[in-house]
Parts: sequence; C-alpha cells; structure tokens
Amino acid sequence: MNQAAKVQEAKGPLVWLDMDQKALDDAYDQFVYAPNRDQVHKRNMFNSDRVRARLGAPKRHAYGSKPMEQFDLFATGKPNAPINVFIHGGAWRTRAVKDYAFMAEAYVRAGAHWIGLDFDGVEGTNGDLLPMADQVRRGVAWVYNNAKSFGGDPSRIYVSGQSSGAHLTGCVATTDWKDYGVPNDIVKGALCCSGMYDLKPVRLSKRSDYVAFTDESEEKLSSQRRLDRLNCPVIVAYGTFETPEFQRQNREFAAAVKAAGKPVTLLVGEGYNHFEMAEMIGNPLSLLGVAMLEQMKLV
Amino acid sequence: MSNLSRRGMLAGAAALAAAPASAQTAPAVHVKGPLVWMNMDQKELDDAYDQAVYAPNRNVVINRCKRNSELARERLGAPKRFTYGPTKFEGLDVFTAKTPNAPIMMYIHGGSWRVGTASDYHYAAEAFLNAGANFVVPDFANVGDVGGSLLPMADQIRRSVVWVYRNAKEFGGDPERIYVSGQSSGGHWIGVLLTTDWQKDYGVPMTIIKGGASGSGMYDLKPVRLSARSKFVHFTDEMEAKLSAQRHLDKLVAPVALVYGSLETPEFQRQSRDFYAAVKAAGKPVTMAVMEGYNHFEVMEAIGNPVSLFGRAAIEIMKLRPA
Repeated sequence: MNQAAKVQEAKGPLVWLDMDQKALDDAYDQFVYAPNRDQVHKRNMFNSDRVRARLGAPKRHAYGSKPMEQFDLFATGKPNAPINVFIHGGAWRTRAVKDYAFMAEAYVRAGAHWIGLDFDGVEGTNGDLLPMADQVRRGVAWVYNNAKSFGGDPSRIYVSGQSSGAHLTGCVATTDWKDYGVPNDIVKGALCCSGMYDLKPVRLSKRSDYVAFTDESEEKLSSQRRLDRLNCPVIVAYGTFETPEFQRQNREFAAAVKAAGKPVTLLVGEGYNHFEMAEMIGNPLSLLGVAMLEQMKLV
Repeated sequence: MSNLSRRGMLAGAAALAAAPASAQTAPAVHVKGPLVWMNMDQKELDDAYDQAVYAPNRNVVINRCKRNSELARERLGAPKRFTYGPTKFEGLDVFTAKTPNAPIMMYIHGGSWRVGTASDYHYAAEAFLNAGANFVVPDFANVGDVGGSLLPMADQIRRSVVWVYRNAKEFGGDPERIYVSGQSSGGHWIGVLLTTDWQKDYGVPMTIIKGGASGSGMYDLKPVRLSARSKFVHFTDEMEAKLSAQRHLDKLVAPVALVYGSLETPEFQRQSRDFYAAVKAAGKPVTMAVMEGYNHFEVMEAIGNPVSLFGRAAIEIMKLRPA
C-alpha cells in the first residue's frame, strides 16, 4: 500500500504509544505491510495439496463435540514419536487448517507427528476469543490423553502457532492445566511466530470491529500477564517487514519472558513479512524450521 | 508510466516505509508497436526478459538469500575453496558431505549473466548435505568481465565441471555421480552443460553429468537476443547457435527436471514449457513442475527448501530423498 501517502496525513491524537488511530489500525492490518498476502496464501494452499499428495491424506480426529473441534494428523512412521501441534492464524477469523498442511512434511520427515488443529473463528463465537482459547487448550489436552492411540509420545508435545495462532499458542503455554485435568507440564516447548501477547493495543485497534473484546478476555488472554504459569521454553519470532506493532509485541514478549527468568529465544527473520514468516515454518532448513526441530530435539 | 519510473517509485516507497512492495504486478498497458517475437512488441519482449517488471520484491528476496547464506555458513562452517582455472574468477566452493564417496550437486548461479557470486547461494547447501550429497558452487566471470560474450563463461563453467570430475576424490566426492542444478541464467547454463560435447571438446566422457535440475531457465537465445538484454550481452550468430540448448538435444544424455513459477514473465514460462516439449519430443527423460504462486526469485529461493518443488526436483534427480 502507499506508505508515502500515510506519512503525509496529519497525525491525530495518540491512542497507543506514539500512534494515532490510523497508525494503530494499520499496525494491526497485515495487508498494509504485506501486499503479497493473497499470493502467499495461494502458495500455501498449493503446497498443502502437494504435501497431501506425497504423504497421503491426514487422519482426521475429533477432540470435542462441535463441528470445528477436529484436527488433521500427519503421522510419522516412528513409534512413540514426539508431536507438534500447530495452531493456525488468520486474525482469529475462521480458517481451515488443511491450508497449513504444507508445514507437515518437515516434521514428519524429521520423525515427529504433525497435528493441525481446527477450531472456531470469531464468526462462530460471537466475536469472543475465550471459547477459542478453550478449544485449542482442549485440543492439546486431547492429544496428551490420546497420544498413544496414534503412536505419539504424550511426554513430548510441542506447540507452534503463527499470528493469531501464536496469540493462542501463548495462551496454551500459560494455561492452568488443572482446569483440564492434565499435568501442568504437558507442553514441552512452544514456537510463537509473529503473535500478540498483550491484547490492550489490539483492543484499541479496528480489530475491535469484529472481535468482541471484554476486560475479562483482554486480561485472561494476554499471555504476557500470565508468565507465572509458563513452564516450557519458548521460541518467539518476527520478521523485519512486519508491522511495527507485530515487531514490538514479539520483542516485548521475549523480553518479558527473559525478565521472568524463563528460557526464551528471540528470532528475527530478516527480509520476511508476516505471511512469509508462516511459510518459513514449513522449511526444515529455515531459521524457524531449524529452531523448532532443535527444540524438539530432532536435529 | 515507463518501467524505469515505475520501478523507481516502488524502490522509493520501499525505502521510505521499510515495507516490501511485493504484490505481483504486470507491466502497464501501452500502445502496441510492431511484433518482434511471437505476439510481443519490443516493449513486451523487453519486459518479458526483465524480472523486476514481474517480480517487484526482487531485492527483498535476493537480500534474504544472502542473509540465509550467512546463516548456513554459521551452521555448516566455511566451505573449502578450490581453484579450477587460471583466471581470478575461476574458483569454487565445496561443502562436503558427511559420508565419503558421496554424490555431488553443482549449483550454477543466475543473475542475468551479469551479476552474482557463489557465496550468495550457500543457502542451498544444507538441503543437499542433509540428503547425503556434496554441494559445489563455482564462481565464474560475469558477462561484463569478458567483453559481453557468453562463450568464455560457458567454457569456464564447463571447465569447473571437468575439474570436479577429475578432483572429486580430493574432497570425498564420487566423480561418477556429478549432478547439476541452477536457476535463471544459471538454468540456461544447466541446459548448456547437459548438451555439451564433452568427449570432443574436453576429453571427458559424454556421461560426465548424470542429471540436471533447471529452474526458470532459457534454452533458446533467439528471443533473448531480440530483447533489451542484447544491450549487455553482445550476441552473435555463433553464440546464439552454440548456447541454445534446445538446438543440441542430440547431445543430451542425462535426465532433466525443469521447474518454473506461475508468476514468472511470459517468456520465462514459455521457455521452460517449450524446452520440456522439445526434450520430450526427442524421446528423452524430462519432468516439469510448475510452482503455483511463485515468481522468478521465489523459485530461486525455493532450492534451499528440500520439501519445495525445486529443492525436491534437484534432490530427486540425484536419486536421493529430502531429509
């Protein structure tokens, strides 16, 4: 988009840090900074088809009773293998995890199961993020309770997510698992790629037009405020061509985890925008692919 | 708006905002002039051999590949450097496989024949090392270094292959399993290497190369010669005839894997399609993969991803599997 034109507009009252409303809205609108959004999405769908053609169709399991509470499992051939649970993004709107199958092959070849969770978008929850967080947490708990049924090792579950999926991954990594009747250490590591960890500025942005933020959802689902519950190493990543807020959110989350004395790695994808960062997760030799496979002790 | 000013504007906007203007675009509409090649007038043909017109994120991707090459060296260590010929250009980088007597992938870089250095393509090394191969990237002169002729470049690149054949054992490579891959003008060189008269011109077996994977290449130089590229390549009848691989398919003795992106220029798509059809019509083994949603430079980048169509094609032509 035309950044030059934006610079020339008169600045309004500040609503968040040094940003006026338009600047904040733009900072939570990926398309303003990543005009190849649709191209990359098309590429992901194409590459997902290719992965299904090579690996075969995934197994489909239900982790809950609602239609969206299912997941795709691409199984590795090795018994008792570690598991990567992927939580997709899409600005919390409804997306199908089948379009992210392109990531699976890197993990399956390295000897891990790859699970992509489907879950409701805000369209299915009256704009409320709390049921979405509950869904992905139940998805991870289901994987823990049923891992052995598909040859997975319940003691080696790792979670990854990108964009709003990284927001939800942050929520998963800071869950009080006794609410779900499983041990508090069921997640052994997390990749939070290009996520949001403090919902206050998001709530102030035009994302409030379709996300029904409340004080409760802002508080409960800002993982940066829940770091006392974090008990696994976290990889936090962003690209240098992401929006200012998406860069800041990830930098500040990594700094907060570090300040809390917990293990964190901050990775910066130089020359990558928001959507190209997600694409990188599927390349086992990329900055993110290598980091995730190392965290899972697969390289 | 002319191409030049349109590109200048994109570059200016990117610099100002530090945001990539990488949406796919096509050249602006113009009054059509006389046809110079197929259904194209001069401007359309020039555009079809100018990647920036169709891939405005060119510099972003090139810089990404440079950065990823640095990251690859951090993980793998610096490659071994060998000299394969007398001029200052004639050196090559070798990343050695973990196992002895392993097959060898030689990567011939692109850059419109005009720019490029082997070290900026190290990002591709790990995909081949992990699959069990050695990875070799030769440097060679740019066309501006050798008076605008592609013929000395062809000779250098061919001699780099001969050097690898004769010296493979020095770095643990198997001289009987040399494969080649390349992209863009490097794809042009893959076509040239695969149709070289090795016995007659270099005194090595015709089967010195066991297979080639070529991304986004040019296999018939006639339309290239008619395009604005003739401003920096001083094409001659001899050069066009000798270095158009499509006219030397009788010399082709190794399987070929072709790859191109659906967002490349019309000519870069056609060149691959026509070469594929010609090799097939000659009854020789060839495959073609189209990467949907990839432009020219994104195809280039994809060879570093072993599960992409380009990375996979190059690994599989070696009878290896991505790992």
